[in-house]
Amino acid sequence: MRGPRTTVERLDQPSAYFLNRSNKRRRIDKEHREGEDNSSSPEEDPVVKLQNATTLYVGNLSFYTTEEQVYELFSKCGEIKRLVMGLDRYTKTPCGFCFVEYYTHQDALDCMKYIGGTKLDERIIRTDLDPGFTEGRQYGRGKSGGQVRDEYREDYDEGRGGLGRQIQLQRMREREREAREFDDNYARLR
Amino acid sequence: MADYDRRGGGSSYNSRKRRYRDDDEYERRAPPRRRYDNVPPPHVRVRKQLIAIAENPMRPWHEEVYSIATLFTDNWDDELLRSNFVDLALQLAVEQPLKTPFVAAVVIVANAARPEIVDMLLAKLAKLVEEKIAEGEWRQVKLYLKLLACLQGCLEGEGIFPLLEELFNRAVDLQTASSEDTIGTEIVKIILLTLPYVMVAAPGKWNQKAADLMEKTEVIASEPHTSQALVEPWHPESSDETAPQSQSLIGLLQAQLQNEANNGWALPYLPRPWEFPPSNSEMQTKLQNAQKHALPAIQIPETVIAGPRPLFPEVYFSVYANQEVQSVPPTTNAAASLIRDALLDTINQLDFNRNVTARHLIDLDCFFSQRTFTARATPFDKLREIEPPKSTWKPEDVAVDAVFSQIFTLPNPEHKLVYYHSVLTEACKLAPAAIAPSLGRAIRYLYRNAPRMDWELAYRFMDWFAHHLSNFGFTWKWTEWVDDVELPDVHPRKAFILGAIDKEIRLSFAQRIKNTLPDPYKVLIPPEKEKDAPDFKFANDETPFAPEGREIASLLKRKAADEEIETYIQRIQSQAVDRDMDALVASTDVFVTCVLHIGNKSLSHVLAAIERTKDRLADAGAASDAARAQIITATMAYWSAHPGVAITIIEKLLNYSILTPAAVLEWVLRGRVAETRGRVLGTAYMYELVANTVNKVTSRVRGLAFKVPTTPEEEEEDAKTRETEVARMRALFTEIEEALAPWASSSAREEQMEEDGKNEEDERMVRRWADRWLRVFRRRAAIEETWLVEAAKERERKKAKAAEEKAAEEAKKEQEEKEDGKKPANGVAENGEGEGMNVDA
Repeated sequence: MRGPRTTVERLDQPSAYFLNRSNKRRRIDKEHREGEDNSSSPEEDPVVKLQNATTLYVGNLSFYTTEEQVYELFSKCGEIKRLVMGLDRYTKTPCGFCFVEYYTHQDALDCMKYIGGTKLDERIIRTDLDPGFTEGRQYGRGKSGGQVRDEYREDYDEGRGGLGRQIQLQRMREREREAREFDDNYARLR
Repeated sequence: MADYDRRGGGSSYNSRKRRYRDDDEYERRAPPRRRYDNVPPPHVRVRKQLIAIAENPMRPWHEEVYSIATLFTDNWDDELLRSNFVDLALQLAVEQPLKTPFVAAVVIVANAARPEIVDMLLAKLAKLVEEKIAEGEWRQVKLYLKLLACLQGCLEGEGIFPLLEELFNRAVDLQTASSEDTIGTEIVKIILLTLPYVMVAAPGKWNQKAADLMEKTEVIASEPHTSQALVEPWHPESSDETAPQSQSLIGLLQAQLQNEANNGWALPYLPRPWEFPPSNSEMQTKLQNAQKHALPAIQIPETVIAGPRPLFPEVYFSVYANQEVQSVPPTTNAAASLIRDALLDTINQLDFNRNVTARHLIDLDCFFSQRTFTARATPFDKLREIEPPKSTWKPEDVAVDAVFSQIFTLPNPEHKLVYYHSVLTEACKLAPAAIAPSLGRAIRYLYRNAPRMDWELAYRFMDWFAHHLSNFGFTWKWTEWVDDVELPDVHPRKAFILGAIDKEIRLSFAQRIKNTLPDPYKVLIPPEKEKDAPDFKFANDETPFAPEGREIASLLKRKAADEEIETYIQRIQSQAVDRDMDALVASTDVFVTCVLHIGNKSLSHVLAAIERTKDRLADAGAASDAARAQIITATMAYWSAHPGVAITIIEKLLNYSILTPAAVLEWVLRGRVAETRGRVLGTAYMYELVANTVNKVTSRVRGLAFKVPTTPEEEEEDAKTRETEVARMRALFTEIEEALAPWASSSAREEQMEEDGKNEEDERMVRRWADRWLRVFRRRAAIEETWLVEAAKERERKKAKAAEEKAAEEAKKEQEEKEDGKKPANGVAENGEGEGMNVDA
């Protein structure tokens, strides 16, 4: 979308994650359509949707990072029009991501290049161009309300609630079972 | 996180290999593993090798150059390869300028076997030079000329010289037409920076030509530019005799090159990858006897333009000046300018991948002759032991110096400041052992000298410092500045400490930062900063209007109807009148404080609260100047422990037009300055508030100034809006001038001084702060005027172009109509439509 391939990769390109997801969606849509009507399929290129994107998805935040901190860092690329913190679907507390909307596309690209991959609150954050925030997207899509990646995470991440939630649950159940078994054994001995 | 690592590198690297590559042990890199069972096609291999050229320090240049050139010429029949090669060479010249001499060398060697390649390249190169000159993209012009200069040995006749001379003539015309011209200066700079590459590409042949050209450039280069004061980074006090002095970049360059000319253009540090070792004299003769090519004609337009942004003269800036051992090239040596220039091109052209920029900075010694620099990561103390003629130039210092020179460029560097921050961060991450000590020395130099710097630049230093630390666990050897904690807050070094700590806290939180500071600093973080939320003053019954305040807050919280709130506002106002207070001020204070209080959980909360109450807030602001000032006072008071939050809220209030820029400036420069006897001028966040407000106004004016109207009616309307906004902006700058001038050292403020005579030293410092503020905003005013002039030119150009296109279109239409035999009435209507479309395009 911006001339010939550069000699080194550009950091202001949409991530593989975004492209894969969009492509998958397009495939599914196409399959759907093929069943009924395959005349006019608006083959929308996911990259086109980002041509004037002013919004960024920001990931790998600590649950404790505040809006003010995000403002402080992201304002270095231009005035922020809107900031939407990602929330746990059930507890409505921050769950480690947000959407930052700028006034201009250029500011968003600059943010990709200069801020994505640097640290905020001592964590390396990830930025991705986003076609724009829509209501509902501020909530985690994981089983237990947070982000999906925090469900089965095996490493302990203090800034993101420790171990993955499902793993925590599993461990808790194991402990309970052990305790029960211990009780049983103890009772039997008596 | 892992995601990011994978995205980080350039396509020129094998990312898997790179991750394990320890910067400090680059020699021990394992030979690349064969990844393909089938060798990839030649165009893929040539692309890959050309992009990575010169990156491997273990490979002799001439070998690498020869192997790529041979791979290319051996596969000459591959059409894809042939056309890709030319495009890639040209692309590398602008995207990775440190590699230009090496790319040129490949072309030179290929010329011996396939001379056609040079013609193909020159045809495209000449067109690009022409295009970029027409667009005013001067950096790219320079980069293409550098490639051309390196090819001088393959050129017929005088090669690049006629082009340089014509460019020079254009510069003379511009300079004679106006003493304020900056394009001519830029052109002369480009000529001077191109010349050394010509001299190493064709050694010994062009000394006379070069001398002639330099005799001509002398007049323009050695004359100080009229607007040099606008870009001067130093702003010493008049009594400061040892203050650093900066030199004009172009003047320095002229003198340095004169030295080089006197030494027969030795230029030992510039790479000559087209030279083969004496043992291979056969190759050398082959290259010499290879076909020479004519440079296609390059048209330079009658009027050259400044390009997308106004040009300013440049000065040479170094944070490693005057050290006991020279860790960077001295300003008498052309290496200082040439290496710096190549690095700045890399930094500014590669802003789309800071990781690769940082990699190039660290690998900088790969792109210059051997023995130009010391070994990597040589400690500064060890430089003393190096015996001449061995070099004492530390590659890390040279790299770091180049980045800082951009952060400290006035009026602004090419990219956002945060880009340069990120380059330093990445460099530090890639080679901490090498870069961190160099940064440390730079920080110490800047800390010592920031008080003599322009205040805008000193502020940039503080902002960078806090941001940089936030990427490295906030660790800094604060103990070495511990004596300065005792200084009064208006002292510039203490002001730096306070400002930097505030910025650190904003990026983190108070408790965390407190833990990173030695004990004596901890008093600088008051307990309020550690509270979750500011105190609500109406919770305390001692505060006037406490019951009303609590009531309004709870009404706001449950989103009660405005009439209910109005009752309490009325009550406050009548009580205020009884107490002889300004009723509007009293009620505004209560209301604003309550809005802030119910929104204290986060910026979203307060913005939502403002959104809900914006009508009442706007009415309050419009009611009286005092009430409007009270909105600011209440905001700054409520968030006094976190000025960053207050500043963001005020910015949003400006967006809602609840506040005006003039009101903010007046509040700081008349109100707060008087209340604190000028001391507030030493507070970084107050400057931030004013500078942000001014930026808001100037960026709006710039936006209007560059707007190209599509219809005559629109043109008239635009002109009107522009006029009002420009007038408003100028009034703002005048207001700053008038408010600050009485505090500056030039004014004799006898009475105030006597009144406050107890602390003369403080007085002196306050006057100094006023001087510094004044200089910043006077410059801002001057710079905006420059933009307006450029914008007017640009509008005219676009208008003329649109008219031209319209005329062409009409002529074409007419022609078609004649052919079609259509009625003219129809044509007129169509033309009307065509016009609109035209200008849009």
